[in-house]
Amino acid sequence: MNIDFNSELIAFRAEISAFLDEAPTDAIREAGRKVTSVFADFDQATAWQAILNAKGWAAPDWPEQYGGTGWSVEQRYIFAEEYRKRDLPPLLPNGIKMVGPLLIDLGTEDQKAKYLPGILSGEDYWTQGYSEPNAGSDLASLKCRARADGDDYIINGSKIWTTLAHRSNRMFMLVRTSDAGKKQQGITFLLLDRTDYPGMDIRPIKGLDGFPEQCEVFFDNVRVPQSGRVGAENDGWTVAKHLLTHERGGSAQSPTLKRYIEHIRDAARDAASPFGGNMIDDPVFQRDIGELEADIASMEHFEKLAISGHEIANDPAFPSMNKTMNSELIQRISVMMTQISGLEGLSLELDALRIGANVKPLGTYLDLVSMPFYLNSRATTIYAGTNEVQRDLIARTVSHG
Amino acid sequence: MDFSFTEEQQMLRDSVSRFLDKTYDFKARQTLVASEKPWSEQVWQQFAELGLLALPFSEETGGLGGSIADVVAIAESFGEHLLVEPYMSSILLAGRALALSDHDVAQDWLAKIIAGEAIAAFAHEEARGTAAPEFVTLGAQQSGGNYFLDGEKRLVLNGAEADILVVSARLSGVAGEKSGLALMMVDPKTDGIEITSFQTIDGRSAAHIQFDKVQVSAEQLLLDDAYSVLVAVISDIMIALSAEAVGIMGALLGATSEYTATRKQFDVPISSFQVIAHRLADMKIAYTKARASLYYTTAIAEAGQSTARDIAILKGQVGKLGRAIGEDAIQSHGGVGMTDELIISHYHKRLIAIDAMFGDSEYHFRKIGQAHD
Repeated sequence: MNIDFNSELIAFRAEISAFLDEAPTDAIREAGRKVTSVFADFDQATAWQAILNAKGWAAPDWPEQYGGTGWSVEQRYIFAEEYRKRDLPPLLPNGIKMVGPLLIDLGTEDQKAKYLPGILSGEDYWTQGYSEPNAGSDLASLKCRARADGDDYIINGSKIWTTLAHRSNRMFMLVRTSDAGKKQQGITFLLLDRTDYPGMDIRPIKGLDGFPEQCEVFFDNVRVPQSGRVGAENDGWTVAKHLLTHERGGSAQSPTLKRYIEHIRDAARDAASPFGGNMIDDPVFQRDIGELEADIASMEHFEKLAISGHEIANDPAFPSMNKTMNSELIQRISVMMTQISGLEGLSLELDALRIGANVKPLGTYLDLVSMPFYLNSRATTIYAGTNEVQRDLIARTVSHG
Repeated sequence: MDFSFTEEQQMLRDSVSRFLDKTYDFKARQTLVASEKPWSEQVWQQFAELGLLALPFSEETGGLGGSIADVVAIAESFGEHLLVEPYMSSILLAGRALALSDHDVAQDWLAKIIAGEAIAAFAHEEARGTAAPEFVTLGAQQSGGNYFLDGEKRLVLNGAEADILVVSARLSGVAGEKSGLALMMVDPKTDGIEITSFQTIDGRSAAHIQFDKVQVSAEQLLLDDAYSVLVAVISDIMIALSAEAVGIMGALLGATSEYTATRKQFDVPISSFQVIAHRLADMKIAYTKARASLYYTTAIAEAGQSTARDIAILKGQVGKLGRAIGEDAIQSHGGVGMTDELIISHYHKRLIAIDAMFGDSEYHFRKIGQAHD
């Protein structure tokens, strides 16, 4: 075992910190403080991505030849830590963390040349067309159909839980191209250059937190070029599974989780305990936050072992364990935030949550975001494969049967 | 950063594991626990020959200069084999405390301990557990050139068999104060000592020891102002116990996955039921978390970078996750999980004992939560 704390990393941290202190606009910072979901405010997240891209730091996890930073794993972890310390908004994940890495791994040279620059700069927002009303956990039973017609496909059907589709200009999706064989075998992965093709109808769905984050998308004889196909026709399931490993694992989550704990502790210093005094001195609060911090620490240890190349990350269950741990920790954090806010979390303040709104929050920033964050975070154990599906996958790596 | 065992550590780990596989299977262990003997003298002598008793001590004190990572490398295997030999008590607790003093007599004792010729016990725990040494209350009253010990130590592992006791005591002040603590070397045959021995739920020999005006000479004072040494010894034993627990957790996960894949009910293996499969998944997640925290904490402790909070996180996690895996393993085995015959229940009892020692998970979680940074 060997832990290195060298001076180069200290200098690197200082360089990162200086830029992150200076570069973001006030509106970007405000968007960071008002995050209540995996998806930050669309406009500010996009503006921030453009700034980071100009610096060359939009996609630290990408290979250098495609616009990555060439940083070591330690440097990337430090970047994530400093980023979170300043409460900066996360970049929209669909491009940088999902379709980008997928194209780098499996796209044609033409596809990479055409799409990667827009993904890196944030000019393109890609919505994900996977789930359908009758294909959720059982994704392979999807029915949205693409029929080959000359150099095109003609798409009919619908997709749901397409995040921010109403703000998107591109889409990656799974379609059914064959009914022969197993249901996994007739699926194709497509990239759509536009989301305003004739016959496409995007309808936002208002969520339990009051925001239209999700959408349903209807396809009525939508004609798209076949050149947008990734992988072979009917081999889209393999492509989708590959993408899921990026969606479920990948970059370190623990800096984000630890930052939430700092906010909870800060709030607990001023929040009154119903037993007198402040929550920070309440023994039950101390025990509960201690338990949560210990569990977050184990996640951090797991991530640090993984990024250092320890064999623990070679486990085939790694992406599923990572997703399960992270999603459940976010939910526990969000519960604790609402507990600290108490009655202050009950006011519905959709206007105050808008960026640039001239509406003062009724309470603290934590009170403003805790309830919508809690409500939105119910999705963490549902999206990217429900945690029930993840546990099925994990169990398969344990079972001798 | 490298959190993996070195090649040497891996070899040490493999050789101890092979030795125990050969000589210390579950049947042999159960026969030993049921016998009059508190541990196997033969195994202990072989440990001495293999250099394991010298492993954690510095070369100046006659040891091999091993680090906490070396101890972790072998302790997982101790857990998997449910070892009852006095490695924790005589080597890692009392031996370590003796080694941290430059006292001549202490060095003589240490040489005998390393040679396998003597056993030392660490008399430290008091009524509610004494993970925080500042709560030690056993009094050492100075009078003339001597000290008089009054009070009681609970759950002294191998206290009845020890040739020498290393006792934590309070020279001055009251419970809660970090100053005024001492470590004493006490002959267990001294007048005024009353030893009540018993076996623990996890097959070890232990004792409650009553001290009634026990006269101790000034030469037997190992250390005064012993707080930081006590903290160091307890920190390392918490890592070693956690390694044992992680070894057990891995063994329970393996045994439970095997059992649920072969046990049939309603004509199918019970692992085909989703509730069972998901329990196995939860056990694997728990094991993975505990293991990650063990290796991470060991590496930073070896580098001298660990804090009290880091150690509390490890011990708290291992206590909670170990109990969960043990209870899940029993439930998954059904009726046979309740029997003495299967190793499952014995693994669980050891995990419960490890949780209770040096602060259980609730204690450590609250300690973590108390920290104002």
